[in-house]
Amino acid sequence: MKLNIEGLLVYFPYDYIYPEQYSYMLELKRTLDAKGHGVLEMPSGTGKTISLLSLIVAYQRAFPLEVTKLIYCSRTVPEIEKVVEELRKLMEFYTKETGESNNFLALALSSRKNLCIHPEVSSLRFGKEVDGKCHSLTASYIRAQHHSNPNLPVCRFYEEFDSVGRQVPLPAGIYNLDDLKAFGRRKGWCPYYLARYSILHANIVVYSYHYLLDPKIADLVSKELAKKSVVVFDEAHNIDNVCIDSMSVNITRRTLDRCQNNVDTLQNTIHKIKETDAAKLREEYRRLVEGLKEANVARETDIYLANPVLPDEILQEAVPGSIRTAEHFVGFMRRFLEYLKSRLRVQHVVQESAPQFLKDIFDKVCIDRKPLRFCAERLQSLLRTLEIADIADFSAVTLISNFATLVSTYSQGFTIIIEPFEDRTPTIANPVLHFSCMDPSIAIKPVFQRFQSVVITSGTLSPLDIYPRILDFRPVTMASFTMTLARTCLCPLIVGRGNDQVALSSKFETREDFAVIRNYGNLLLEMSAIVPDGIVAFFTSYVYMENIVASWYEQGILENIQRNKLIFIETQDAAETSMALEKYQEACENGRGAILLSVARGKVSEGIDFVHHYGRAVLMFGVPYVYTQSRILKARLEYLRDQFQIRENDFLTFDAMRHAAQCVGRAIRGKTDYGLMIFADKRYARADKRGKLPRWIQEHINDGSLNLTVDEAVQLSKHFLRQMAQPFRQEDQLGLSLLTLEQLESEEMLQKITQIAHQT
Amino acid sequence: MTSLSEEVLLVVKKVRQKKQDGTLYLMAERIAWGPEGKDRFTVSHLYADIRCQKISPDGKAKVQLQLVLHTGESTTFHFANESTALKDREAAKELLQQLLPKFKKKANKELEEKNRMLQEDPVLFQLYKDLVVSQVISAEEFWANRLGGINNTDPSPYNNKQEVGISGAFLADIRPQTDGCNGLRYNLTADIIESIFRTYPAVKQKYSENVPHNLTEKEFWTRFFQSHYFHRDRINTGTQDIFSECAKQDEKGLKSLVTQGVKNPLVDLQSLEDKTLDEGYGICTTQPSTSNANKSVKDSSNSAIIKRFNHHSAMVLAAGSRRGELASDQASETSSTDGNSRDSDFFQPPVKKVKLQEAIEFEDLQRENRPKTVPLNLKKSDRYAHGPVPLQSQQYTTSQDIINSVNYIRHEMANYKPSLTQVLSSTAATSAIAALSPGGVLMQGGAQQAINQMVPTEVQGELKHLYVAAGELLRHFWSCFPVNTPFLEEKLTGHLEEMLQTAYSKFQIWQTRRMMRKT
Repeated sequence: MKLNIEGLLVYFPYDYIYPEQYSYMLELKRTLDAKGHGVLEMPSGTGKTISLLSLIVAYQRAFPLEVTKLIYCSRTVPEIEKVVEELRKLMEFYTKETGESNNFLALALSSRKNLCIHPEVSSLRFGKEVDGKCHSLTASYIRAQHHSNPNLPVCRFYEEFDSVGRQVPLPAGIYNLDDLKAFGRRKGWCPYYLARYSILHANIVVYSYHYLLDPKIADLVSKELAKKSVVVFDEAHNIDNVCIDSMSVNITRRTLDRCQNNVDTLQNTIHKIKETDAAKLREEYRRLVEGLKEANVARETDIYLANPVLPDEILQEAVPGSIRTAEHFVGFMRRFLEYLKSRLRVQHVVQESAPQFLKDIFDKVCIDRKPLRFCAERLQSLLRTLEIADIADFSAVTLISNFATLVSTYSQGFTIIIEPFEDRTPTIANPVLHFSCMDPSIAIKPVFQRFQSVVITSGTLSPLDIYPRILDFRPVTMASFTMTLARTCLCPLIVGRGNDQVALSSKFETREDFAVIRNYGNLLLEMSAIVPDGIVAFFTSYVYMENIVASWYEQGILENIQRNKLIFIETQDAAETSMALEKYQEACENGRGAILLSVARGKVSEGIDFVHHYGRAVLMFGVPYVYTQSRILKARLEYLRDQFQIRENDFLTFDAMRHAAQCVGRAIRGKTDYGLMIFADKRYARADKRGKLPRWIQEHINDGSLNLTVDEAVQLSKHFLRQMAQPFRQEDQLGLSLLTLEQLESEEMLQKITQIAHQT
Repeated sequence: MTSLSEEVLLVVKKVRQKKQDGTLYLMAERIAWGPEGKDRFTVSHLYADIRCQKISPDGKAKVQLQLVLHTGESTTFHFANESTALKDREAAKELLQQLLPKFKKKANKELEEKNRMLQEDPVLFQLYKDLVVSQVISAEEFWANRLGGINNTDPSPYNNKQEVGISGAFLADIRPQTDGCNGLRYNLTADIIESIFRTYPAVKQKYSENVPHNLTEKEFWTRFFQSHYFHRDRINTGTQDIFSECAKQDEKGLKSLVTQGVKNPLVDLQSLEDKTLDEGYGICTTQPSTSNANKSVKDSSNSAIIKRFNHHSAMVLAAGSRRGELASDQASETSSTDGNSRDSDFFQPPVKKVKLQEAIEFEDLQRENRPKTVPLNLKKSDRYAHGPVPLQSQQYTTSQDIINSVNYIRHEMANYKPSLTQVLSSTAATSAIAALSPGGVLMQGGAQQAINQMVPTEVQGELKHLYVAAGELLRHFWSCFPVNTPFLEEKLTGHLEEMLQTAYSKFQIWQTRRMMRKT
């Protein structure tokens, strides 16, 4: 249908529309009009992606000079591919309606592992191996050597792309990962580099967060993207953690040992080169005198895991004299390494700030702040000069140099914690230096600054106001949308007591309590008897799940559950879990029914949807608080309190509730879907917890279901499931949660729609 | 010593039976064995008595052949001629293989078949009793159009049976019971053993290797329950255990399952992340412990339990679908991606495409263009949700009727004019009120009992049997039409009429008997 969103003609590739989709598009359009940033929460399964794409594509067509590009970031590879498929659907609709093929270019970008078509390289299993192998075939000096020595292997796909691929831009169309590969095969071009090159002139780019948020990658891939772009972060409920992860470094003794080896290799190589090709080193020196700016202009294949966010002023300066010659720099790294080794020899936990660390390093080994800042850049230059093929081997020294640059660049927002041993095993020495970022806004700041509109959206972003605070930006729109429902297809229940009135909770004091564990077991057992097909149960942590499973096993609860359904359990091994997941789906598919025991914050809870019969009930055993004894977390909480005035408890609860919401939200993926959401912990009933659940879940929790016993929950569930099993037809939804164009345009409905968006 | 006149097909020397050396003779109608040096047979079985033969697996020290009789007894022959033992056994086996089927009695089988049908189907059995035993209809006629159909289409109706899956909790059903004196008793049924074998082929293999040569059946299962294999939460301490190999095999199987990867790209957790952080970057909240040393015994036992459950469920699932795979329509999906197509992405796209399309589909946003179906329209959804309720009365009045009558009464009441000359006497009035108040004679209609509660169950049963029997006769009757063969005509005019008559009179007898009993 064709919609009129405040004067903008939007093509929407379906015959009907959900009211909240219309409302969402309104808000989105206002954000784009204001050229500002937005935070939008809309329940999963209400067609968020297609609404986003429809509106932004329409906007791009209407105002081609205002918005030149859409950068759509999602979290996982399947998500990325889904977005592209939806886009394809939209474009097909455009062609059908307008009768002309539009010249839109949209493509997905992923790592080499997913795009490589080189027969040998693509058969490697791990991303890192693929990257390393690819680099050893495509680095500029390898190719230069290939000219003199044709026996040296190079990648023919890259060569082909390099010689002809750049002249002709990728023809307009929608390219998913497989399409890119197919195109690459046809032309004999490398799809990865083709995609990386093409994102510069593409209208829509779909890739993962890391390409924007991880400075090491963003610097290579996304640096030249146009300023007039709209950036969308989908599934953004965890965006702060992604930011923090990309800026944090951990150094163990093993890292230092490997770094030591790297430095030795560097030294030897320098010696060798000096004898054979001293001119090369002199050339490098000259370059460094002239400043980093020129050194920075490297060819795109030379990825040396580039520098973390370097402030611009550094790039203008020349590398300080003390590390300009290769030998001096290696000596400098040696000294730095020795210093780190001495720091790791501590017997007790040390926590200090970056300035403290810098002062200490100056006092002890006389290393200045300035050369440290140039460390990462200097190392890159050296690696390039020495023509070292396999950069994967030099990851340790790269890590150390990145650390040096980061620690000397940011005086705030980071903390250094040195732990001589793990908390659980105080007798085994395993010193680690955590250099952890506490301020997610550091990594995302360039994104907010550079791009005209940044939209943060997800199914669970409650409470909305916390995201602008921790990411430090000022949004122009913030809205949370509810799910309009013709039938209440979700049934959140808070089970606070067992049948014996024992309070259910996963809190630390009662964690080992047999009564609680038994009651949790009973809850699962009873549910397994009444819920059809699949049940997913989430635990607060892996250790907790292991303990509970063991004690259920001893008490014979699991065996009783097996009478009703098969049991599959998430393990820490991803491959094993994938298999369990597939078997779980198979068991749901063939009607036997199954239970999946899983962990909040685990891979399953983040990336797998349990649509329809794959998840008719989700049980959340306990409140998934993060492990609060960790020093890194404590430091972060302190930082949040001091810098952003967010109380520790508020943040912890917010974090726990967003994960709980993620877990239970896995089961509802649309209006025709239905599922039970059982929160098995009495603490969920408290207003501070409940209030942090997304609005679309919160509004279905009635006061009667705040502190149920297991039996009561079973009764309510039975009733709910019976109702849901009734046929549900399109006609039932029409006019309520599903609108035709005429219905949408009626005055009354427009009024209703304005109430859907909940402004904060 | 009648054997001398028989034709001897094969003679095998040096065959031991019950630790005695002797000679095995295979003759035209029976198999026989006589100890060395004596000229009489101590063992002699007719081929017709033998149900099947079993042989010891290759590679075993003892080369044996076992005969299982219909009676359940068995005889084991041990081929002891060192150099040719295997060859001897093969020869005997081959010959037996050819001979045995000839002696399987066909008639016998049919009888068995009928027996089985009667046992499986209580209604049929009752019918048989009613019609055949009471000589309303002959046995041949009864079976004529039942067995016939079965025999023609499919020799054994077993194949038509739906394969029964395995209960996920079959191990739970063998909970041990203490026998009171420091012992444990496990109850094993044939079903459970079957389940164990189907779920854990490794155990089955062990069983066939060890039973009955090395262990008796009982010993085998005792060891099974004692083993670490059964109690997977105990950490394997490396004791000599025939099942430790099974555990290893299971492990291997699990591993191969894992390395095979998953077919559905949407659940492949390994390729979910686009770009993992390099080693050393990121905040590691939970340190993946690289050394097993700091893992406590409890931890590893816990993870063993978890592994076990995953494996068990996968095996149960596989056992259930193994047989069904052949015909199931699922096969079409899986077959296209069979094999180790992990890296060859030529196979992947179809499944992937389909799954992706499924994932982005919004079926309710699209106009339905499926063929119109008639939706199930439930007038009283309560009744659907709560199951059937006994009917309250036989007569239904439509709501319109009720409204009409209420209106009528109201109308009547409004126009009521008391004619005081014609009033009831007070006694008549009180008795009328009593009759109309709850519990009165006229108010019993409200508390009317359902018919199935009024009639005792045995009467219901009898009636039902009569009904079914009559129905069967009618079926016979109608199956004769159109009457186009003299045989049918004869059947119709001859005894069928008679039969119906008999049935009718039977019903009459029953009815009168009932009436008599009642009065």
